[in-house]
Amino acid sequence: MNDSEAEAVTHEEGEVGIVAHADFVSKAPFEFESGGTIPELTLRYETYGRLNKEKSNAILICHALTGDHHCAGVYDMTERKQGWWNFMVGPGKPIDTRKYFIICSNVLGGCQGSTGPRSINPETGERYDLDFPKLTVRDMVKAQSLLLDALGLDRLHAVMGGSMGGMQTLQWAIDFPQRVGRYIALACCARHNAQAIAFNDTGRQAIMRDPARLQGKYESEAPPAHGLSVARMMAHITYLSDVGMEARFGRKRQGEESGREHFEVEFEVESYLRYQGQQFVSRFDANSYLYLTKALDRFDLHGAGGSLDATLTAVEAPGLVVGFGSDWLYPPQANREVVEALLRLGKAASYAELALDAGHDSFLLRAPKLDQLIRTFLDR
Amino acid sequence: MNPHSKKRQVDFQVIARWVNAGDRVLDLGCGRGILLESLMQKQSVYGVGVDIELDKIISCVKRGVSAYHGDVHAVLENFGDASFDRVILSRSVDLLEQPDATLTEALRVGKHVTVGFVNHGFWRNRLSFLSHGRRVENEVYPKKWYESQPTNPFSINEFDSFCAASGIQIMDREYLQGNWRDECRLCPGLMAGYAIYNLTKA
Repeated sequence: MNDSEAEAVTHEEGEVGIVAHADFVSKAPFEFESGGTIPELTLRYETYGRLNKEKSNAILICHALTGDHHCAGVYDMTERKQGWWNFMVGPGKPIDTRKYFIICSNVLGGCQGSTGPRSINPETGERYDLDFPKLTVRDMVKAQSLLLDALGLDRLHAVMGGSMGGMQTLQWAIDFPQRVGRYIALACCARHNAQAIAFNDTGRQAIMRDPARLQGKYESEAPPAHGLSVARMMAHITYLSDVGMEARFGRKRQGEESGREHFEVEFEVESYLRYQGQQFVSRFDANSYLYLTKALDRFDLHGAGGSLDATLTAVEAPGLVVGFGSDWLYPPQANREVVEALLRLGKAASYAELALDAGHDSFLLRAPKLDQLIRTFLDR
Repeated sequence: MNPHSKKRQVDFQVIARWVNAGDRVLDLGCGRGILLESLMQKQSVYGVGVDIELDKIISCVKRGVSAYHGDVHAVLENFGDASFDRVILSRSVDLLEQPDATLTEALRVGKHVTVGFVNHGFWRNRLSFLSHGRRVENEVYPKKWYESQPTNPFSINEFDSFCAASGIQIMDREYLQGNWRDECRLCPGLMAGYAIYNLTKA
């Protein structure tokens, strides 16, 4: 049945190719929502495509909790690993670099080049560690707005992102209604439910109870690796779905039964998660993980007054929210709730739900309908 | 343009006539958003469409029509009493799981409700069953029973008695002939192929 007018056009696709990051440095003190300040701020970012003369084609992509500013391309020709949204960003791709100028920055509080807990405080010459101010999603967005100021961008064609990126996207639409032309929030929510907080805190506890943590003052060569990898393993499960894990791993075993110690890796899923945990330690900082997950837990668009509608009143741009059927971390109803409130308020907003098996991480996997939705909404 | 889409034009005109400029309009079973797009452009309404099919939602997004992907009944509980000037069910009532419950909710959320439906009491539809012993097959219902989605066909007479029994006030109604183009004035229960009702709570 082809009941859709949404034509199955095939788009000639290319790659953004070799990219390089840049650093934005603000020498002015940055004040956090909590009242804390840092004397200066660095945001590492990448851009793809060209800004047009009218400066009307900029799209800001916000990354998820453990993502970074490298969302497309490679750093050199020998590198096999592409940016985390490479299938989405590029010439002819849904976020088309022939039409749009795309910016993606590592969040404030992160550990991939932007100022975070492991950065050196220029006033003391020491790492911030736990002296880093309490961080919120709103702080991340405010820091990004300074980057846009520096790039001379008053207004964005669009802001978009999934998961924590979706939360930043919603915060952008609320805090900077004049600067946002439209927005797309994927696999997002207005606030964490008890289950999401519970998982995050269990992850934080794994880190904080690791003896190597040393109250956050560990040396970079000796991080609380056990705690951080366990936190990652558990969080990773919440990004997948039971159906997806079953299809990928099932009860598949690896290695020979004979000679295997009883608690050694036996099932493939164990091996996969342990590998994910270990990999994570090599690229992510434990203090950043604590700060960022806490910022997510405290994110609450229902606000002190408990009214999501009151918070969303500020939104002016038309929005698209996409939920994923198998996402049990930020389930469809958490995404729907945002659009329901927007529609009550008379805002232009759409909700689409995709029946994909990849759980919360569905937005990170290529799916024709997701491509179509994003392309359609951006190009309109 | 297929004959089916031509058929839609007259009932859209009737539906549009009952919509005031600037109204808040909720279209339950909005399809590709063609009606809402036209109401938004010509009458500057605030429009929201609801549909259960993803492809329809994508078409709405393409048209710039706000669309909510989900169940038309479940969505209603999110809206306050009389929060829309008009709720439209255009050719979607026969697809509802609980027509009475959804219409009651629609009348709570909307100050007015427009219902457009195929009259299965139309003489041709009656004749089809009488003479061939099978349900209608035409350009509106091109598919065999076993390949079409479950529908709950009803007639003008049945809808009238439902409104009377449920205390629903019929403000206006328009009947179209079997061609869905010309007005039907005579004996609509038998002669009308399509009916459009403007309803409100009594």
